Amino acid sequence: MTPLGTCRLSALAAVLALQGGPAFAQAVVEGRVELPKMIHPPVMNKRYGIVSYNGVLSPYPPLAVIYIEGPFPRPAAEPSAQMVQKDLNFQPYLLPVQAGTRVEFPNLDDTYHNIFSYSPAKRFDLGRYRSDERPIPSVLFDVPGMVTVRCDIHEHMRAIILVLDTPHFVLSDPSGSYRLGGLPAGRRVLKVWLDSRTTLERPVDLADGSTLRADFP
Amino acid sequence: MISSPEPRTAGVASFRRKLTVAMMLVVSFVAVSILLFAQRNMADGVRLDFQREFQNELAALRAVQAVRHAALAERCRVLARKPRIHAALEDGALDLLYPSARDELLDVMESDEGANLEPGAYALRALYYRFLDARGRAIPPPNARDVGELGPGEESQLDLARLPDAPQTGYILRGAGTPQEAIDEVIAMPIISSESGETISAIVLGFKPSALGGGNPDAWIQGGIWLGGHLELPALVGQGLADLAARLTSAIAASGGDHGGFEFSGDGTPYLVSFKRLNPGSLFPAAYEVSVFPLAASISRLHRLLWEFCAAGVLLLAGAYLASHFLSRRLSAPVERLAVDSEENREHWQRAEAALESTSEELQRSARFSADASHQLKTPVTVLRAGLEGLLAGEQLAPEAREEVSALVHQTFRLATVIDDLLLLSRMDAGRLQIQFSRLDLSPLLEALLDDLGALPDVFDLEIDADIPPSLWITGEKRYASLILQNLLENARKYNHTGGKVRITAAAQGDWAVVVVGNTGPQILAPSQAHIFERFHRGAVGENVPGHGIGLNLARELARLHGGDLRLSRSDGSWTEFELRFRLARGPA
Repeated sequence: MTPLGTCRLSALAAVLALQGGPAFAQAVVEGRVELPKMIHPPVMNKRYGIVSYNGVLSPYPPLAVIYIEGPFPRPAAEPSAQMVQKDLNFQPYLLPVQAGTRVEFPNLDDTYHNIFSYSPAKRFDLGRYRSDERPIPSVLFDVPGMVTVRCDIHEHMRAIILVLDTPHFVLSDPSGSYRLGGLPAGRRVLKVWLDSRTTLERPVDLADGSTLRADFP
Repeated sequence: MISSPEPRTAGVASFRRKLTVAMMLVVSFVAVSILLFAQRNMADGVRLDFQREFQNELAALRAVQAVRHAALAERCRVLARKPRIHAALEDGALDLLYPSARDELLDVMESDEGANLEPGAYALRALYYRFLDARGRAIPPPNARDVGELGPGEESQLDLARLPDAPQTGYILRGAGTPQEAIDEVIAMPIISSESGETISAIVLGFKPSALGGGNPDAWIQGGIWLGGHLELPALVGQGLADLAARLTSAIAASGGDHGGFEFSGDGTPYLVSFKRLNPGSLFPAAYEVSVFPLAASISRLHRLLWEFCAAGVLLLAGAYLASHFLSRRLSAPVERLAVDSEENREHWQRAEAALESTSEELQRSARFSADASHQLKTPVTVLRAGLEGLLAGEQLAPEAREEVSALVHQTFRLATVIDDLLLLSRMDAGRLQIQFSRLDLSPLLEALLDDLGALPDVFDLEIDADIPPSLWITGEKRYASLILQNLLENARKYNHTGGKVRITAAAQGDWAVVVVGNTGPQILAPSQAHIFERFHRGAVGENVPGHGIGLNLARELARLHGGDLRLSRSDGSWTEFELRFRLARGPA
């Protein structure tokens, strides 16, 4: 966060643009990410959202998170998101959020769950609770980074919350196509998160009203 | 008496003694052989039983160990799947690894109140645990008190060359060189990623090993552990332990395999030592389970067995000697009797021989007398007849006197016949009659004799019936054969009655020529039948029948000299039959 002054201004403009409608013409980036092939780990259950192989955690089936690198200013109001536990799985299993977002973990199963994380970006332990737990247990993710979410009771349950320092992010569809709109113009770095070890990046020049095509690789 | 009773008794006694000794020797040999064989068999059996018992005991103890091991392994396996431990390892939170594990391992770790637990539960308590990193090195815990403290040299013993794919059993030496030196059992359980199956870490738990025999010093089998030249065996101390450790080290090096055994005599007490690799194929250094089994009980059992066998042997031998003594007495009794009998027999025999000798002498004398008498008699008879015939030839005799003289002449003929017969008999008695055998046709001989019979004055008006084959060849001498037949025919004619019948049949039967002479006449009664062939026997016939009682005797003797026989074949009612047999001549006519 070195070039603080101008960046903050433009970020503010971008946020305003996002929230305030089409006051300015905004840039769009779209394209297609070549997702990793569906590998079948030796021990694999299709329910698994996040699998670990050779120490690498990756979404399964593969998905990508495409985002414009920040930093951007934190939102004034605390945004919120949800990651539910249903059918002994996390849904969604890959959740990108802007830093400062509060994520709720409602339990939609009939059984107990115990959501916790040992990730450096956020360590928490929600303890055991059931679907009738009110308020819905939630965690504020304020430090950017990758957070692996687990359930202490169900060893197979795993999810990743990607805490980003930007409001400009999107999840690709399963084929890898994405469209990231409402971007502030300027010279930016476009990043693609594929797994815990792989993040691709590319500098992009964003012009107002333009649509940029960016395929990876 | 040839021998006196004393030597005979001595001979029998010596025989009995020898028999007894021989039987005793045989019985001793047999008994000792059987005893030796049985003893060896029993000793082998006892040894085998012992070994089997030992093996069973060991197997039972090992089964207990295996159960404990399986229980521990299962605990570790459950532990290794705990999400918090996975999270700590996979999500880069090693600082949370031991704290998380502390909660999870709370029931596994030995606590202060663990001392009050029953031994079975105690055996499942861990003394310490460590996690291994990706290279197999122990991850140092932030607070060793929570996870069980280990010395620096001890913690490094937990390191492995790589992370294991399967549970590993190992042993580490603690407090080396101190009086508290001990060997701990450790189990390294891989922590495997549930998705990829790869080993991400391992947890190593340390336990106090459960000793074979439960550490009870009075237990039958004492167990211990050998690790890298160190031997932990509570049953042994001091020099004995050191000696056994050294011996084990060389035996394990020499065995090359996973197990072995030897006999060891520590401080005078013999032991059976058996060792078996505790952790075959483990990444940890090789450790051996050592079972020490005192042989004292086994040896004393063998000794007792030997004594029992000796006692049984002595009793058996005594019994056998007694039995052989009685048996030899019984066996020698018939011999003794035989000795007496043979003595008596010899006397009898000698007496009989003497009697025979005198009889023979008498016989010879009588035969000689008979021969002499015959010769002496023939001459006067001839002279007498010649004189009488001279008288008859003269003219001076009155017709009455002539008739008398003629009767006298006839009597001289009879006398001559008797003398001839006697002469023949005496020659036979003296053994001087030899038959000149030749082929002889009996048929013409019989025909001729029958003709002669018909020519004789017939007082009874007999009917003579003959059934004779054209020829019947025998071996014999014509003169004597003729004499036999003549005698028979003469008898058949003589012992007859008026209007009676004589029948002669001759036929070949097998090897024999059989001539049957039958005639009507008075029955020869059963008591007489046995005697008719005796010399000078004349049955119960009246004196009116002429004869001198040697005809049948002579005929039979002659028949027998011919190799044949003569017998009375029938005499019932008024029919009497004699059967005469000659040998048939063999070969062509």
